[in-house]
Amino acid sequence: MTAPAPTTLRARLDATPWASPLGTQEYFVNMGPQHPSTHGVLRLVLKLDGETVREVVPVLGYIHRGIEKICEHSNYRQLVHLTDRMDYLSALANNWAVTRVVEKAAGLETNGRIEAIRTLVTELQRIHSHQLWWGVFGMDLGAFTPFFYGFRDREILTDVFERTIGGRLTLNYIQPGGVMHDIHPEFVRDVKAFMAVFRPRLDEYEALLSENVIVQERLRGVGVLSAADAVALGATGPVLRASGVAHDLRKAEPYGLYGQVQFDVPIGSRGDCWDRYAVRMCEMRQSLRIVDQLIDHIPEGKHFLVKPAAKIKVQPGVWYSHLETARGVLGAMLVSTGGEAPYRVHLRTPNFNNLWTVTAMAPGGRVGDLVAILSSLDLVVPDIDR
Amino acid sequence: MGLVTDHLPGALLPLPGGGALLTAIDQVVNWSRANSLWPLTFGTSCCAIEVMMATGAARHDLARFGAEVARPSPRQADLLIIAGTIVKKMAPRLRTLWEQMAEPRYVIATGSCAISGGPFLYHSYTTIRGADEVIPVDVYVPGCPPRPEALLYGLLTLQKMIREGSTLARPGQVRRPVLAALPDGMTLDDVRAEIAALVQETATVDRKAAAAVGAAFAAQDRV
Repeated sequence: MTAPAPTTLRARLDATPWASPLGTQEYFVNMGPQHPSTHGVLRLVLKLDGETVREVVPVLGYIHRGIEKICEHSNYRQLVHLTDRMDYLSALANNWAVTRVVEKAAGLETNGRIEAIRTLVTELQRIHSHQLWWGVFGMDLGAFTPFFYGFRDREILTDVFERTIGGRLTLNYIQPGGVMHDIHPEFVRDVKAFMAVFRPRLDEYEALLSENVIVQERLRGVGVLSAADAVALGATGPVLRASGVAHDLRKAEPYGLYGQVQFDVPIGSRGDCWDRYAVRMCEMRQSLRIVDQLIDHIPEGKHFLVKPAAKIKVQPGVWYSHLETARGVLGAMLVSTGGEAPYRVHLRTPNFNNLWTVTAMAPGGRVGDLVAILSSLDLVVPDIDR
Repeated sequence: MGLVTDHLPGALLPLPGGGALLTAIDQVVNWSRANSLWPLTFGTSCCAIEVMMATGAARHDLARFGAEVARPSPRQADLLIIAGTIVKKMAPRLRTLWEQMAEPRYVIATGSCAISGGPFLYHSYTTIRGADEVIPVDVYVPGCPPRPEALLYGLLTLQKMIREGSTLARPGQVRRPVLAALPDGMTLDDVRAEIAALVQETATVDRKAAAAVGAAFAAQDRV
């Protein structure tokens, strides 16, 4: 007969029997919620034996804002702006995920121009997000220069967004039935100018950080996540692909214009921090490739097919739709009873599942490696807590 | 008796005609405090990207105003920039962080969430409606999130406030909050009253109904 699983945090930590090889006493350290390496207000309870991590228990809720509950009080058009504030580094992909499920539920149609614009800006934001990750990743490993280089190039892309969309971070651009504004007349020229600047800069990034021996030693073999563990824990996005599972919704269930463009899905072989690093670096090049194919072929047409003031009506039922953000699969479920507001909204966010892979990767490693592991997961904490 | 600066801040030396000297020292102390603010790296959500990262990075360059030395420890910092939403679970931690900072300490609330709850003002059961419910705030910088330029303006406002404030001559005097972008004729109390009315109107939890349900359950238990 087995004992029931302990429920409280303290009981769970105490229930793990560890015979310390050094004869030392195990102790607990709280990492966060105020900690420079957790990128927000994530709290990890670490069970340590000397410098070795025995167990990690994430504690959530320090930025739980009740977005799903607020959605129940918003009409179908208002759902979109809240999603900007979840994973704010992939705001456009979040917009698109909720927009898709509302369009599916309400039977709204789009045209080629809308889909092309959506695909283009989302792919640009994937680069935008990875640029920030690259800078912060370098900073977490102890190199400050990547932070400045990453942000220098990120600002060029921020300007592109600002011209068309009007915002820098929380963009609220992709709406049910279209996109908020048509693209700026200079959009195509700006994007081409950005690509001309960024291609050589990407090589510079590789020379600066990827080819650095210290960085390689710090990352290779650290935080190994097996493909089986990654799938079992529900990891998606670059974390899953670095473990060798070629799953990308852009390929598996093409949406937007992803079915019409050529691109590769980079995968890793060992699932360590280095693979996660390399996968994201390759993804930036693939995103540039997608943008390159689309930028000269934006069809003509309207950018909004539903009148902005029109109420969106949804028949009673349950709908689900998902897509690939910069961090993984974002799923949106909608339950409607036919009213103006949804009865229930659930958002399956990629960072929540990606976070739990740390419980499989960190035990047995050092505290210093934990920082590299966390940074290689590219977590956005408000997306975990919602 | 040594140099005057050995006794700073707070020591009033009994010098004949010391008023002139103290005024000069006040200005020196204020000038140096205003130009070497060390912010705490504290960010809960979206504003942290714009305010803590983009503003400190190459283009906007917070270092021009002497405030780029971000410290991860509150004991080394004297400026708390609240970047993001504060929820009920985080509020006691925010208070602890502020209490751990050494005097004199300054607080800038950036973004709608830290000012009033922002987009999570209505129907949210966790959000604190403004960080000033937890700690006193000196400067408010609106935006969702504010542009880096807005934070720079807020920082300059704070610096102006510190330079014009009193340090040695009138210790303990309460500083008045400075509103970086409220129009003339509108006070913080007006904003608070309006928010309170709106929140009351759209409260998710109807306290009376909830109390009635609770009483019904309690009665059931007794039977």
